Amino acid sequence: MIVVGGLLASGCGRQSIISNQSPPAHGITVLWWWMLGVAGLVFVGSVAFLVIGYVKRHTPGLPFLGQNELAAQGLVLLFGIGIPLGVLVALFGVSDVYLIRQTAAPAPNTTRLTIHVIGHQWWWEVRYGDGHPVTANEIHIPVRTRVNVVATTADVIHSFWVPQLNRKIDMIPGQRNRVLLYANRSGKYRGQCSQYCGLQHANMAMFVIAQPAPAFRSWLAHMSTPAAKPTTPQARAGERLFMNSQCSSCHFIGGTPAQGTVGPDLTHVKSRSTLASGMIPNTPKWLADWIHNPQAIKPGDRMPDLGLSWGEVHQIVAYLQELK
Amino acid sequence: MATVVSPRGQRYVDLLERVWGERKGLVGWLTTTDHKRIGIMYFFTALALFGAGGVEALLIRTQLFGPNGHVLSPAAYDEIFTMHGITMIFLFVIPMTTGAFGNYLLPLMIGARDMAFPRMNALSYWIYLASGIFMYIALAQGHAPNAGWFNYVPLASKTYDPSNNIDFYGWGLIFNGISSTAAVINFIVTIFKLRAPGMSLNRMPLFCYAFLAVSFALLFALPSLSVACLFLELDRQFGFQFYNAAHGGAPLLWQNLFWIFGHPEVYIIILPAFGIATAIIPTFTHRKMVFFPLVALAEILVAFLGFGVWVHHMFTVGYATVTTVYFAAASLIIVIPSAIQLFAWIATIMTGTPEFKTPMLFIIGFIVFFIIGGLSGVTLAAIPFDQQVHDSYYVIAHFHFVIFGAAVFPILGGMYFWFPKVTGRMYNETVGKVSFWTTFVGTFVTFFPMHILGLMGMIRRNYTYPAGLGFSTLNAVETVAAFVLAGGLVSIVLNLLISYFKGPMCGSDPWEGDTLEWSTSSPPPPYNYAVIPTVTSPYPMWDKADRELDNRRLERGEGVFALGHRTPGSTVQDAEFDELLKMPPHSIWPPVTAMALAGVFTMLLLGHLFIAVGFAAAIALALLGWHHRGSEP
Amino acid sequence: MSAVPGGAPIEPETPAGAVRLAQRRQALPNGWWAMALFLCSEVTIFGTLIATYFYLQFGVHQWPPAGIAPEKVTDPSIATGALVLTALPMWFAARAARMGSKRTVLGLVALALIVQAGYFGVQIALMSHDLQHFSPRGTAYGSIYYTLLGAHHAHVLLGCLLDMAVLWFVASKGLTNYWLTATRALALYWYVINGLAVLVLLTQLSPSL
Repeated sequence: MIVVGGLLASGCGRQSIISNQSPPAHGITVLWWWMLGVAGLVFVGSVAFLVIGYVKRHTPGLPFLGQNELAAQGLVLLFGIGIPLGVLVALFGVSDVYLIRQTAAPAPNTTRLTIHVIGHQWWWEVRYGDGHPVTANEIHIPVRTRVNVVATTADVIHSFWVPQLNRKIDMIPGQRNRVLLYANRSGKYRGQCSQYCGLQHANMAMFVIAQPAPAFRSWLAHMSTPAAKPTTPQARAGERLFMNSQCSSCHFIGGTPAQGTVGPDLTHVKSRSTLASGMIPNTPKWLADWIHNPQAIKPGDRMPDLGLSWGEVHQIVAYLQELK
Repeated sequence: MATVVSPRGQRYVDLLERVWGERKGLVGWLTTTDHKRIGIMYFFTALALFGAGGVEALLIRTQLFGPNGHVLSPAAYDEIFTMHGITMIFLFVIPMTTGAFGNYLLPLMIGARDMAFPRMNALSYWIYLASGIFMYIALAQGHAPNAGWFNYVPLASKTYDPSNNIDFYGWGLIFNGISSTAAVINFIVTIFKLRAPGMSLNRMPLFCYAFLAVSFALLFALPSLSVACLFLELDRQFGFQFYNAAHGGAPLLWQNLFWIFGHPEVYIIILPAFGIATAIIPTFTHRKMVFFPLVALAEILVAFLGFGVWVHHMFTVGYATVTTVYFAAASLIIVIPSAIQLFAWIATIMTGTPEFKTPMLFIIGFIVFFIIGGLSGVTLAAIPFDQQVHDSYYVIAHFHFVIFGAAVFPILGGMYFWFPKVTGRMYNETVGKVSFWTTFVGTFVTFFPMHILGLMGMIRRNYTYPAGLGFSTLNAVETVAAFVLAGGLVSIVLNLLISYFKGPMCGSDPWEGDTLEWSTSSPPPPYNYAVIPTVTSPYPMWDKADRELDNRRLERGEGVFALGHRTPGSTVQDAEFDELLKMPPHSIWPPVTAMALAGVFTMLLLGHLFIAVGFAAAIALALLGWHHRGSEP
Repeated sequence: MSAVPGGAPIEPETPAGAVRLAQRRQALPNGWWAMALFLCSEVTIFGTLIATYFYLQFGVHQWPPAGIAPEKVTDPSIATGALVLTALPMWFAARAARMGSKRTVLGLVALALIVQAGYFGVQIALMSHDLQHFSPRGTAYGSIYYTLLGAHHAHVLLGCLLDMAVLWFVASKGLTNYWLTATRALALYWYVINGLAVLVLLTQLSPSL
């Protein structure tokens, strides 16, 4: 009951390996169902033996075979060595010889696009090609296209995991790991850092947004443009404040003096759907709360409380709202 | 001899009582070298730490009851789950199995009067106690280790964790490792050399095989952890570069060293449980173990193969496919010796006439959970699947079935099984059965849904999770079940506690057990056996003629060795009588030495190297005192 | 004590009894076994350290890193050769202990101790010389280099302390069963430490070979 109900529930999760959306993730799911089936048989069979032991607890010996020590030893050999050996060889062949090719790092020249994903405490930097455009926590990819993700880290070990699309890959200092990203259909797939990376490990989510190739291309072209100039007085005040406060020493905004690299690139921050690595929605109200007191929302985050007044916060929010 | 002792035999018993009499009171416990008293001290210390680890587990579960929980701050949560792991692995399971069960039972099962090195045995305990206190000082000071029990660098490096909390981990585990190393050397020599004459290796109980395998595994696994922790502390406190990728170091060095220790560790945790199971099953099925030699071989093989599989904890670090495939194959091979033992237990139950008393019920629970944990373990050797669910709750489910379901259940069963031997009283069977079912259901419902949560994408070590991913219901169920489980554990402790005062007296052999400990009185006298027992098979208590022979030998004073603390030493393989060992009496030096060692580690932690050297000199002085006067064995 | 198989009781507390026991015993004594197992643990520690040395070497392009000259071969080799030779007096000391010859034991262990302590002094001098050229804090090479050597030196120092303990107690208490076994265990300790010295030396010199 619990099993069935739970698995049904897992089938519709946004981060579930069961609701796979790519060939490698699908292969793993199929492998899982097979393993569950065989494991279920083994479990039921073994417990059946125990039940037999209980039912005939007053008579020594095996059913039918009676008190035959050789038969008992044969049972150990058959179920302890014979059958497991066959099952394990089959499992090894299917998973570690055949399926593993699909989840291995993509071979060179088999991918159309390379994206660099860099783990930070506690957000994701996303770079297309070797330089710009740069974004954060949202990885746009063209649908039905093999994408090569190069996973590295700026600080501690993180792990890049989008369960519906593929296996995870660790991001390790001094190492360049790669993993294939592929989505069968357009959609928004949630992923999360899965290697414990400190205080806000639980809130280090990101989204992969798969979109049709034309939409992806126009998105990419837009991302490559510098930031929009503020239009309203409120936003202009916000820009001045941003450039003259600590904000600009940590964040980058294309085409402005803000050249920081500690925090996420904000050139097109309004185009993203969430803030603080998937923690809160990117609405003016949440953004204001976030700027006013980030530590209340994400304790321990690298973004400090800047001690800005609500008036100043709203100016900065007005500015950032225009960075579409 | 437990039955009727003739006046002639009684003369020898009186003599032994005089020679082996233990000191009374606190001083008696502080200076004791009796393996049984040391075992009891291990038991209560480990039990207290189990309580601490359990409270930590309940805090974790309470925090995760619903999405966006606020019971603990993120910082507190990280410390609590780290301490939960460290406590359960290093301060509870190993000391409880090797320390408490091994210490109390091994010399009894092999017909010896003590461990080979009684004072070193006491030293192991005092070091263990000191290291446990050392680790918990970290929690008491407000910042405990917080990088998880496997403490990956660079998160655990000075750069990202500048406080001294990780130093408690680094030095504490080296400190604790000294205790374990001393303990296992003692076990191995005891098993090799102190077996009662006649107990050749092929007549040694399977329980002892399991502990022999565990001891060797610990002996060879611990150095890797100690070296890893030494590197860590050199990096953290002295600016070395072992793990710093920017200066030629390697973060993966830590992972390799840790898991070279960490995987054998898993078998170190589970093997004593196998040993306890193989002690309980024959007794309650009223028959010998099916396929004794193969089971003994499998126990040793598990410990041996456990050293060749560590990279399966590292399938996602980006190693070449060929490397991962090799370790996946090795991980699959290790299933075979585990399956052999599993089906040997099942076959013994099927062919015997099992009696489902409380200890046996816990063993049945153990078998069921071991099957579940074993099967989920097999799925993790499928590399692509492991790469999906690694570091998710699926893994939490897997290893709690193995470590809690399969390792702790035999400990609980063993507590019921040997309670009459240790206390001389019988526990309450009805309460025992209720406590089993509560614990069993609690365990299953706490941990089974974690498989599903892992598949749904819930990561481990998350102090919270958002609503909307479908995690909430199962987490709530788990939390409720965790409290049921805790209730079951408390009911076990209460049952035993009340029975200690009110339980009916049970005599020396309430279960018609198969091994030697049931032949002596309950509780056993300080000298264990008035006559060193005659052994002609691995089930000596079922050899009634041998036991009657022992009674006649007592009449003649044969094998009594009453002139001083004596126990026979025998040859390694055939257990032929070789020499009469003189065992040391009580000594104050083990706790003194342990205290000096605690001083060394405290000063290393605080960075006072010269004072640490001073404490090391104090150890040397303590050892001089140890060897100085009349106490020479 | 009539029940002791094999005839008359042996009082191992007396040197004479200890020798009789040592000559009649079939299995190796418990103290020897404990030392052997302790050494298993120590050999594993050195195995881990040496493996780390090569693991780190495989991870970088240049080993030793730029600016650090490869180790000179002669001085440490001669020192290690002298240390390895102390296995001889230790072997004869263990043999003499089994014969109950207290003065031979004392003389041979003292002789070995002089060489071993000398080795320790030379190694400390060589290390402080190295420290003037490169630091354990600079690179992972420096870290493992000094840690490996330091661990080895610590074991030599421990051995020297054990030598002194055996000298003191054998001189004051005589070759009782306990100290007879201790002498044999001490000899075993030095065989293994001498073997490790060679492995450590080869590792240390591997970039120069």
